[in-house]
Amino acid sequence: MRKMTSANENTQDFSGSSLPRQRRHGMWRLGWQRFKRNKTGILGLSLVSVVFFFGIFGPSLAPYAPDDQTAMLEYRSKSPPSWKNLLGTDRMGYDIASRVMYGARTALLVGVGSMLVASIFGILIGGFSGFAGGMSDELLMRFTEFFLVIPVFVVILVMVRIFGIAVVGTVFEKIPYLNLSCIVIILGVFGWPPIARIGRAEFLKLKEMEFVEAARCLGAGRMNIIFRHILPNALPSLIVIIALGVGQSILLEAMISFLGFGDPKAISWGQLLFFNYEFLKIAPWASIAPGMGIFIAVLGFNLLADGLTDAFNPRLKE
Amino acid sequence: MGIARFIIRRLIFMVFLVVGVTIIIFFMINVIGDPIELLMAERPGITQEVIDNIKSYYHLDRSFAEQYLYWLWNVLHLDFGLSITYNLPVGGMLISWGWETVKIQVPAILISFLLSIVLAVTAATRQYTKTDFTVMSSALLGRSMPGFFLGILLILIFSYWLGIFPSYGAHSTRNMLMNSALLDSLWHMVLPVMMLSCFNTATLTLLIRSNMVDVLRQDFIIAARASGLKNSRVVYGHALKNAIIPALTYLAILFGLMLGTAPVTETVFSWPGLGFLYISAIQQLDYPVIMGETLIITLMLVMANLLTDIAYVFIDPRIRLE
Amino acid sequence: MTATTTQTDLLLHVTGLQIHFFTGAGIVKAVDRVDFGLKPGETLGLVGESGSGKTISSLALLKLIPRPGKILAGRIIFENEDLIPKKESEMIKVRGKKIAMVFQNPAFSLNPIYSIGEQLGEILMWHEKLNKKEANEKTAEFLNLVGITDPVGRLKQFPHELSGGMKQRVCIARALLCNPSLVLADEPTTNLDVTIQAQILELLSSLKKRFNMAMILVTHDLGVVANMADRITVMYAGRICESATAKIIFENPAHPYTMALLQTIPRVDKSYTGLGAKRLTVVPGRIPNLIHPPSGCRFHPRCSEAEKGCSQAIPDLKAIEDGHFVSCWRR
Repeated sequence: MRKMTSANENTQDFSGSSLPRQRRHGMWRLGWQRFKRNKTGILGLSLVSVVFFFGIFGPSLAPYAPDDQTAMLEYRSKSPPSWKNLLGTDRMGYDIASRVMYGARTALLVGVGSMLVASIFGILIGGFSGFAGGMSDELLMRFTEFFLVIPVFVVILVMVRIFGIAVVGTVFEKIPYLNLSCIVIILGVFGWPPIARIGRAEFLKLKEMEFVEAARCLGAGRMNIIFRHILPNALPSLIVIIALGVGQSILLEAMISFLGFGDPKAISWGQLLFFNYEFLKIAPWASIAPGMGIFIAVLGFNLLADGLTDAFNPRLKE
Repeated sequence: MGIARFIIRRLIFMVFLVVGVTIIIFFMINVIGDPIELLMAERPGITQEVIDNIKSYYHLDRSFAEQYLYWLWNVLHLDFGLSITYNLPVGGMLISWGWETVKIQVPAILISFLLSIVLAVTAATRQYTKTDFTVMSSALLGRSMPGFFLGILLILIFSYWLGIFPSYGAHSTRNMLMNSALLDSLWHMVLPVMMLSCFNTATLTLLIRSNMVDVLRQDFIIAARASGLKNSRVVYGHALKNAIIPALTYLAILFGLMLGTAPVTETVFSWPGLGFLYISAIQQLDYPVIMGETLIITLMLVMANLLTDIAYVFIDPRIRLE
Repeated sequence: MTATTTQTDLLLHVTGLQIHFFTGAGIVKAVDRVDFGLKPGETLGLVGESGSGKTISSLALLKLIPRPGKILAGRIIFENEDLIPKKESEMIKVRGKKIAMVFQNPAFSLNPIYSIGEQLGEILMWHEKLNKKEANEKTAEFLNLVGITDPVGRLKQFPHELSGGMKQRVCIARALLCNPSLVLADEPTTNLDVTIQAQILELLSSLKKRFNMAMILVTHDLGVVANMADRITVMYAGRICESATAKIIFENPAHPYTMALLQTIPRVDKSYTGLGAKRLTVVPGRIPNLIHPPSGCRFHPRCSEAEKGCSQAIPDLKAIEDGHFVSCWRR
């Protein structure tokens, strides 16, 4: 059989990958063209870029070190925005603008980090469930439902607290930013069900499609089908839910830190709110600035996700 | 009947769920070590007598599983134990603190639902106009606004700068508003309810509007108009009724999110509800309260989901046949 | 002297109807100065490809043009009154009561969350001021009339419990509830199985005779109008090509488009397979872009008889014999 088809150069690779690869490039380019026209998507992308910009270059651009207390020594703590401190100072004399910039880095680490964990679990479990079907699928659906119904936030709080107690007096205590990393992992663990759900839906839909059948006829093995054929086509929907998840994780970490369960050594927007909330009446700018940071980050990722959904699943306009 | 079996199946799942969550929490609490040692470490002033009381009351000399079963058995008799911090029966605490939480959560979800319907219908019937654009943009912003930041802003604006509403608590400590306990409560509820309603209204508006736009394009809507029915009847009786159905399941999810993030909401306003209690309980390691609250909150969430599932079956005739 | 009939006591007389859609991509000239009419009890077949403007023309009679469409010019004289200047509150009294419509896709023309009894009863309660009991009785009566078994039981059923054919019968019953003088049937059989199509057409025909209603049958299928229509008006790209009695259209068509359409009908007495077979004919080309329609006669790019003059100006609809009107420069 193989010898007979070798006359045509295009089909020498018998996994049939020449066909889907064309599809893949077309899909991404087409998606990008549609995305460009979508105003919400572009706005989202810009906001996210701003966050990434400060996340990467923030520490270099920040006018003051985050723990710089010279303002306090100069009796300038709790002062409103001025030329010396663009966003004012908080009760300890820290420069808010600098701390907010450092906060961007933490936010991104939390968001991207937790989503990395969540994606790996989510795509593997969801994909396997959707592809294999049957009993494992049923089990997975019950499992995902479980995560949807329980009070996730409350359980996360308990876990963070418990973890905080558990490491007291152990060798782990010395690890820097341990609390933060723990939060990242916990958020990842609780973040995989939505990804798994989408992954499963996509795999279920795609495995019935004709191009998969075609690939199978050309002799592609199961692994090949999953990774080269189904997964790339499932990516757009997965990317959307992951983008949403990054925003959600940033928000969750902010909430956890705001309640005082966060990492006191890490500079996160939630932590800043936790420190400065008591002084809201005297130094409101100290709370407004980090709050706006969270808002912009979450808004950016949400709009980005919206734009991506429209780009890859255009709704027919009359 | 199909509905009865459906409900029973869901109830059984519900029981498993609630029990499952409480087991997990119990496991987590106990796996980190001996609770007594932790208590002693966190609260050095604790006397030996108290410790002995706790030990015998909570059967701490038995195995984990037995401890859990004792707790579960008590719970089934509506005995949630005694709070270590407050030394009060947990059951009573759950009711009084729970009531405060319900006081803001239920109005919030109702207001959100009604407001979102009004906004969604207004926007959908004026698609592509400025009104539609305004509603959509506001909803997109409202969806991404962190709830607790909104709460902070509300306090800043309405409490500190304008002085219209109180900034914390559920009741005034000194002079009640116009000497009425009811008005005083309502006055304190305004800002927290506003904060809770924002996200819900935004997401529901986007969802219902989207559904309305789809439904209004359907043939049966044109057919209804062609039969001479009034516009208001077509929009509300025919289109909206169809558009709302998917939003109902979403209500349960929203309620769950609201309840789940109650700790944050109540911290912002120092609101004496379950969320606020939960945080202090976690920090103080007040196990009976933690276990009791986890049970109640999970139970409320599961009930909300169950209710919407049942409502869905009754409202959408296409589902009944299953 | 009117364009399409020679008598003036018409039930419906549409003149100069012009409907444009103001879309983001441009102005779609969907219906461009169209005339047609019919007498009481007559059946008019409005024939054309999709995009010819036939559906829009019928929706215009109910003033239900969807946004961004607008009626720019023309008169719709129904029962001696012009409908175009009428306000919404006045049109409500016409819709469903004097002019009713049956839609193309029965699966989507009924509200899925209301029972048959509720949906149809609502119309009776609104127009005829009946109470619930009376409405149910009358609805059951009409369901029986359209050939639905167990009419009383059906009242409580929902649309998804009925087959396609039954749904369309319900839609027909819905149209007839208030005894309208004109029924608009927009492709009533297109979405049905072929076996059911004949039944539905037969039903429409008998009901029409029984209630002495006029009917406008909108379709792309000449076969459907062959038996049903008294007069046929052929539309193309928003304009009328030809209008005459059904007999004349089939036996002596004048417009090139009409002739081409007739040739595309598969015939039982011809053979399309095997030796010496004829191929199924198609009309070459595609329907024109209505934002930038062809200059002059809109059919000229696809017309086998087109000459230079055909692209210069739009031909008027003129009578070539009694009751037979054509819009073509070559006739």
